[in-house]
Amino acid sequence: MKMTVDREVTLRMARAAQLRIEPDQVDYMMNSINDILDFCALVGDLDCAGTPDFSWKMKKLPDRRPDIAHDWSDRDEFKSSAPAIDGDFFRVPKINAEE
Amino acid sequence: MAVVSKRPIVIGLEVHIQLNTDTKLFCSCSTDYIGHTPNSNTCPICLAVPGTLPLLNDCAVELGSRMGLGLHGEIQRYSNFHRKNYFYPDLAKAYQITQYGLTISDGGYLDIESEGKPRRVRIHHLHLEEDAGKLVHPTADGRLTGAAYSLVDYNRGGVPLSEIVSEPDMSSPAEARDYVIRLRQLARYLDVSDGEMESGSLRVDANISLTNPDGSLGTRVEIKNMNSLKSLERALEYEISRQNKVLDSGGRIIQETRLWDDAEEVTRSMRNKETASDYRYYPEMDLAPIVITDDQIEAFKRSMPELPWEKRERFEKSFGLAYEEIAILTERKELARYYEDTVEAGAPPARAANWVRMEVLRALNELGQDITDCKVKPSALAELVKKVESKEISSTIGKEVLDVLARENITLEDAIKRTGASVGRITSESLDALIDKILGGNPDVVDTIKSGQDKKGGKLKFLQGLIMKESKGQADPREASETLAKKLEGLC
Repeated sequence: MKMTVDREVTLRMARAAQLRIEPDQVDYMMNSINDILDFCALVGDLDCAGTPDFSWKMKKLPDRRPDIAHDWSDRDEFKSSAPAIDGDFFRVPKINAEE
Repeated sequence: MAVVSKRPIVIGLEVHIQLNTDTKLFCSCSTDYIGHTPNSNTCPICLAVPGTLPLLNDCAVELGSRMGLGLHGEIQRYSNFHRKNYFYPDLAKAYQITQYGLTISDGGYLDIESEGKPRRVRIHHLHLEEDAGKLVHPTADGRLTGAAYSLVDYNRGGVPLSEIVSEPDMSSPAEARDYVIRLRQLARYLDVSDGEMESGSLRVDANISLTNPDGSLGTRVEIKNMNSLKSLERALEYEISRQNKVLDSGGRIIQETRLWDDAEEVTRSMRNKETASDYRYYPEMDLAPIVITDDQIEAFKRSMPELPWEKRERFEKSFGLAYEEIAILTERKELARYYEDTVEAGAPPARAANWVRMEVLRALNELGQDITDCKVKPSALAELVKKVESKEISSTIGKEVLDVLARENITLEDAIKRTGASVGRITSESLDALIDKILGGNPDVVDTIKSGQDKKGGKLKFLQGLIMKESKGQADPREASETLAKKLEGLC
């Protein structure tokens, strides 16, 4: 069943997530959520009858590891894909809840 | 000074202890992050790159279990992890992996002594969780207010913590402080953590409430941001006073989290306290449950060292020391080991206790050193104590020798030579002659004493000091005092 959210629900979701959104951003966020819900509905409508399970056999992996340090060398790759960088730091939106 | 409250005080503490592992809880990044370049101790797992999976550090399970056993807790054969969701970017995943409900250790207690009274603080549970990263606010004062954005360093994100949640069994700030001191001591004895509050290895959040007139628990307030034992006490004292004032004026206490401001010495409202439902806990499906077998628990028990209270009891029985002496000597296991090594090397237990407590700790304090850095070997201290006991050298010279040994890597004999003293006692005849010479050389001082004007005994001490100095410490202080007194009496 297809679901949609309106402006009121969008604003309620933002409050629950402690996100402050400006009035001119509400429609954009509402449409984005509805796009996601549309996609979920599309997946839900697919006829999967007769489709084999998507699973495979694999040997059991250990559930713990020894306490041995390894250095990861490709950090620049992650930094370059981060939304915002400031020197060696990742830059993130300020937090409203603490004020 | 103990805080005064019109209403009974109820305090429970949540103590986070950083575990002594080499790597983070769910990835192989080093936990040695202090002073390192921001985000240099990170990898795809602790940066939450999609497709990566956490893998539990075996050592963290062992250290958490040892701490649980030390707290008389019941190690759980089966526990698991949950996701704790919150909207704060100090963890890249937007949730913290923690234990909730089924924790690694359940129940237990810690016996403490506060203001001379014994008290048992019950432990609710101990659980494992990952630490968060560190947020930096690019403002002049480093505070969030006024910041346009925040910066985050994930080096600390994922470092293993054990959170120890007490029952609300403490009834004063002093008890809360003494509980943390005992907990830290236990963690250090077990090699579970260095327990340094200043560096953040041990962090304390306090829940405090004042009891209602009908005896029910009042509304609790959580206090965070206390970076020292002094801060913990001051914050609790302030909060007790604040809550009493609010209630006296007919107001009501709001359930909230408050931050301690160390500079202003006040608590400030931070945010309305989340409830468990706000965190939307749900099981972490990317991690297998922690299964600990009976054999593993037995192995953990066998590997437990002598615990602080066991050591205190043994010191009392074996060495016959007073409670205060034992408390200082067993505060850290390294100091206790040092003392025992000194006694094993032949020093009389009572004398060795005095020398370690008074002189070794003083010398280390003056040098800004830890007992683990001490250059005075226990065998050398034992020899020194024996020489003072047998009056081969005076205690004054002995202290000077100790100071030399504490500064330099030299033998006891060389240290004695360095002080200018020679081993052996001055004879009674030589002491007699020396005192006569000193009295003859200081007629003004002698006159003052004779005329009864030396009411505080300063002049007498001056003469005693001269005798020790001139004899290069070879005079027995008691014999010197007695001989000096007799001679002065004869002059009167």
